[in-house]
Amino acid sequence: MWETLAQAVINGLLIGGIYALVSIGVTLIFGVVKIVNFAQGEFVMIGMYISFFLATQFGIDPLVSLVVSMPVLFVAGVLIQHFLIRRVLGPNDMPQIFLTFALSLLLLNLSLMLFSANYRTVHTSYSDEAWHIGGLYIPVAKLIAFAVAMALSGLLWVFLHTTDLGRAMRAASQNRDVAMLMGINPNRVFAVAFGTALALAGAAGSLLMPFYSAYPFVGQVFVLMAFVAVVMGTLGNVMGALIASLMMGIAESLGIQFVGADSGLIVVFALLLLTLAFRPSGLGARRGR
Amino acid sequence: MQTSGNMKWLWLVIGAAVMLALPQFVTSSFAIDIFIRILLFSFIGVAWNLMGGYAKQLSLGHAAYFGLGAYTSTIMQVNYGISPWIGMVAGGVVAMLASLPIGWLCFRLRGPYFTIATIATAQVLMLIFLKFRDFAWGAEGTTIPNLGSAPLMMQFEEKSSYYYVVLGLLVVGLWITHLIEKSWIGYYLVAIGEDEDAAEAIGVNAPKVKRDIYMISAFLTALAGTFYTQYIYFIDPATAFSFNVSIEAALVSIVGGIGTLWGPVIGTVLLETTSALLQSWLGSSVGGIQLTVYSLILMAVILWRPTGLIGFATDVYHRYARRKPARA
Amino acid sequence: MAEALVIKGLSKRFGGLRAVQDVSFTVQENETVALIGPNGAGKTTSFHLITGFHRPDSGSVLAFGNEVVGLKPHDVCALGMARTFQVAKPFGAMTVLANVMTGAFLRDRHVAAARAKALEAIDFVGLGAKEQTRAKDLTTIDQRRLEMARALATQPRILLLDEVMAGLNPAEIDQAVALVKKLAASGLTIVIVEHVMRAIMAVARHIVVLDHGQKIAEGAPKEIVENPEVIRAYLGSYVHPPAQGDAHA
Repeated sequence: MWETLAQAVINGLLIGGIYALVSIGVTLIFGVVKIVNFAQGEFVMIGMYISFFLATQFGIDPLVSLVVSMPVLFVAGVLIQHFLIRRVLGPNDMPQIFLTFALSLLLLNLSLMLFSANYRTVHTSYSDEAWHIGGLYIPVAKLIAFAVAMALSGLLWVFLHTTDLGRAMRAASQNRDVAMLMGINPNRVFAVAFGTALALAGAAGSLLMPFYSAYPFVGQVFVLMAFVAVVMGTLGNVMGALIASLMMGIAESLGIQFVGADSGLIVVFALLLLTLAFRPSGLGARRGR
Repeated sequence: MQTSGNMKWLWLVIGAAVMLALPQFVTSSFAIDIFIRILLFSFIGVAWNLMGGYAKQLSLGHAAYFGLGAYTSTIMQVNYGISPWIGMVAGGVVAMLASLPIGWLCFRLRGPYFTIATIATAQVLMLIFLKFRDFAWGAEGTTIPNLGSAPLMMQFEEKSSYYYVVLGLLVVGLWITHLIEKSWIGYYLVAIGEDEDAAEAIGVNAPKVKRDIYMISAFLTALAGTFYTQYIYFIDPATAFSFNVSIEAALVSIVGGIGTLWGPVIGTVLLETTSALLQSWLGSSVGGIQLTVYSLILMAVILWRPTGLIGFATDVYHRYARRKPARA
Repeated sequence: MAEALVIKGLSKRFGGLRAVQDVSFTVQENETVALIGPNGAGKTTSFHLITGFHRPDSGSVLAFGNEVVGLKPHDVCALGMARTFQVAKPFGAMTVLANVMTGAFLRDRHVAAARAKALEAIDFVGLGAKEQTRAKDLTTIDQRRLEMARALATQPRILLLDEVMAGLNPAEIDQAVALVKKLAASGLTIVIVEHVMRAIMAVARHIVVLDHGQKIAEGAPKEIVENPEVIRAYLGSYVHPPAQGDAHA
């Protein structure tokens, strides 16, 4: 019993690290640019396909392809912010919601056209490796993914707290007007925030590839998780999103272990609805006036 | 004013005559099928538009009501032999009742959080119907027993009969929208969509207005669910609570003109025609092409004309109407 | 004269910040009272508390003897208290007429009656020629006029005006002052938050001064400008003296 429980917690914690990368991206964009990026999950998918093709065409290890997927998606993020998002920033919700939503639909269906709905996997030397500690089973690929995810989150934290640009991003997320007064160019800050968020999603994709299948709809699982985590961790708060993501991973894993294999999603949605019902104030239940 | 009023009636009469006569001239089953799809999604769009368009409550969870309507009538028909005509109304009532707790939950949120919450509620309902095998057949779903020609059980041999049923639904939806648009409720809805605080400040009971209109919207969407299930003779959670229904309901309204009477109809005609053309050119073998094109159209509308095709026309009209007195 | 609005011990905290602290004042029927104070003094928060947008931590607000605390904004409005916002909130996509009709529907659900009432209010504020213009196409002063017309259409007995003159040029301020005087002359009780001292002196019979959420003075305009505590509050936190035409530069 205790071993099953501990195993479920470990499984959840490890995948929670990936959720954290996605959630931190969502929360970063929300905090700085003040929009909810419905397409965040699709960028995880793109990261996965980048790693998949680098692995199958050039034999590059998915973990190494991180150095490709992250910069590619960073640039994509800057471009998307500059050419699309920037045009809909304003008091009106509709264009913002439906622009990123349309982007999500577009990327998902484009990849469906280009890559078909097939599941793609990459087999690495460590894909099947696992450490056995006591009665517990720790897959190496997931452990590496978790460790890298935590390292990237830590780097982001350092960036946000020690560099001028990072401080500018935090200032912008706390108070737009104050940030303007400080002479911060919002367009540049927004572009970096969007790029960074997408780079994190790309990293999540690459890290997933050794133990998870790539398919066009894969991002939806992660973006829903991210929404829940971000809402629970209070929108715009990086540390909150991180902790909430780890908790979400554990909750999902416990649900699968003790309720049934197909109930992971039910647990997630139930948590989302409960959060919305009882903690709406954490996430702009009423817009600031 | 008088002439423009008369013109409007003339157009309506011509339009009605064309719509009624259409199945007599177009007999291709493929074409009728497309007309039915256009009418059905226009109707769903009209139902969505009441809440999403006029009051700008951007739901992406209307599949919840579509599915509840579909399941209510199907369960009544398959398990108890009750006519879907009755089941349709019952489904509407079930959806209305369901909209109360769902609305209570979602309307506490604004903007994107409202949208996320509506997605989640529809998904939860789908998962529930996947799990409950005892009364709703679980993931496999069920086929509707084919009784041949049984109008009292909403089953017809002629496709054109289905056409007239869904045309009737659309007319009802448009008529209700028209009545609401012209009355105080219409003004209140638009005011809530524009600025809820300002609306409250001048005496608009925003939560109550939203709740009431959400109920009507849910009711109408459920009718579409029953019709669709009867039309395809099949139901399962994935089709009844399909996210695509939620998406298309919102999409046709936004593309055509959010918060306008005819917007959803115009949007549906554009999107469904595009989709039909794509299908005949490329065949249905290329997965994802339809939604790829839809999302491109949606992005184009949002970036260049957030008020949709109808909004484009009104913008031009207002510019003209505003300049006219200056010239005179 | 009867008491239109009696505010007693109104307090509100946001986190650690005491936004409004034990504020009391009374507005007589048919009187125009100005609420002034440096930025962040709690004027707008007081409006939110009085009109039901925020719920006070303690205190009471009586409008013609009815307790208003705990009511929703739309109920407060139905009781006869209408407000405008510091940043005008027109229903941008609607025409001026439709905006004002939305207010008029509170008292009469019939379209024709609401239309008649709305046209009356639109004429009163001087927007007569622009009833078919979309609200988002209006100039700043016309948006303020629209807000007042919309509030008027709800047939209030008390009107709360939140900085209706901010961002206006001197000529427009004169027009706005004339309009406020006209409103007062029509028998309305008015509470006005304002920075433009010239305007306050012209319209208010009684002034309440807030600073750091507390009432520091109250009285006739002449007494207030000479009150040493008021002068210190303004000099202490405000770069410009409040007598400037537009303090919101």
